[in-house]
Amino acid sequence: MSELDGKVALITGGTRGIGLACASRLAAAGAKVVITGRSEEAGATAAETLGSNGLFLKQDVGSETDWVAVTAKVQEAFGRLDIVVANAGISNASPMVDMSLEQFRTMHDIHLKGAFLAVKYGAIEMRKHGDGGSIILMSSIMGKISAAGYVHYSSAKTGVRLLAKSAALELGPEGIRVNSVLPGFIRTDMTVAFPEEQIAPIAVPVKRFGNAEEIGDAVLFAATDRSKFMTGADLVLDGGMIAR
Amino acid sequence: MTPLPALNGKVAIITGTTKGIGRSTAVLFAQSGAKIIATGRDEKEGARTQALMDEAGGDGVFLRQDITSEAEWEHITSEAMSRFGGLDIVVNNAGVFMVKSVADTTSDDYDWIYQTNVEGTFLGMKYGFRAIKETGRGGSIVNVSSLMGQVGYPDATAYCATKGAVTGMTKSAALEGADLDPQIRVNSLHPGVIWTEMLTSQFGDDETLKNGFAEDTPLRSVGMPENMADAIAFLASDQSSYMTGAELTVDGGRGAD
Repeated sequence: MSELDGKVALITGGTRGIGLACASRLAAAGAKVVITGRSEEAGATAAETLGSNGLFLKQDVGSETDWVAVTAKVQEAFGRLDIVVANAGISNASPMVDMSLEQFRTMHDIHLKGAFLAVKYGAIEMRKHGDGGSIILMSSIMGKISAAGYVHYSSAKTGVRLLAKSAALELGPEGIRVNSVLPGFIRTDMTVAFPEEQIAPIAVPVKRFGNAEEIGDAVLFAATDRSKFMTGADLVLDGGMIAR
Repeated sequence: MTPLPALNGKVAIITGTTKGIGRSTAVLFAQSGAKIIATGRDEKEGARTQALMDEAGGDGVFLRQDITSEAEWEHITSEAMSRFGGLDIVVNNAGVFMVKSVADTTSDDYDWIYQTNVEGTFLGMKYGFRAIKETGRGGSIVNVSSLMGQVGYPDATAYCATKGAVTGMTKSAALEGADLDPQIRVNSLHPGVIWTEMLTSQFGDDETLKNGFAEDTPLRSVGMPENMADAIAFLASDQSSYMTGAELTVDGGRGAD
């Protein structure tokens, strides 16, 4: 008997990087896993690695219509939803005075609106079975500290972190837990522009970037009953960056 | 509690194992296949912890320890080295609690709380670092702080002071551990209201009170020692390998309020 037997998980941005690593961990623990993303090609390839417990659905996380459609398909395929990992994200940087409102808004649509919709539609599904659930929002250490050029990203990620706390207070009485994960520099497609050998020795106390699998381990902890008294918490996985 | 295979074969010192969170942690580590030195002051309760570890099929031994004594830390870490050939994990769990107005807290009250919560944890890190370095496999130290090491609570000035100190020194030690090769990770756990003797000895073991705390907690329950053991196992094991200097709050949501 595995820890997540009988549980169904939805992971946004689940076709690669951190999202796929989370999906693999949850699937290995026995969960049925639905991954979503924008690219059908990447989705099909990723779903294949998850075997018969995996399913890919196309989704724009900032679209409420898509959330309605995706949760309906999850119901149809697996009959319930227990775990949501709101992981989909993008990253770019730009001086604030040159940043278009569109660039700012796109960042907020994907991260903050995406997190809001994930909690809303996740909770709606979890209420149907009444067994509670676990919602995990991917924030970032940029939700605690920041850098020049990241007004859009940092404000969105801070919003996500506090959205999780408000939702935790609201949904706690129903046994629906909401926590955020705050990764630092993780080796993914999103960080290829950051040369690890130059940045890590200076910016990261442990002198290396993290792996997507290390985030997957923490998400597995947050998804299972091993964290059943944890809600509204921040899981910081940054190799010590914000400790100093 | 869920046994964690990632702890299999690891050598751990766990303090404050004669009751509550420490005892549950010792049992979970035993279930997970770790080799354990479980310590505490009360030998009678220690024998019970020993029996529980044995029942769990674990390779653990209870040893008496006063964590405020430097000589005893030297002894305990040498026991880990000689019995199990090394040390990977220290769980600085032992702690004391007192509810008293700041105006009534005596120097002796303060010293008592300070010596156990702060100096005991400091020495656990000091001798833990030494033994883990000597072993050469890297390691993980878990300091049990408190929600009261992050936010205030009335009539707990001394306790809040000591737990705040634990939160801070965890980060300093984490940065030091990150500079070692192999590295030692150091993180703090921040339990909320956990129904243990530490609490009931101060507040009374009263159902009405317990229900009151539960009502006041977003998850509508008090925490149990087993919940903390799972979190400690996560921090102690490679499951949290990119985490250091971090604060893990497991409080049923109280701190989010």
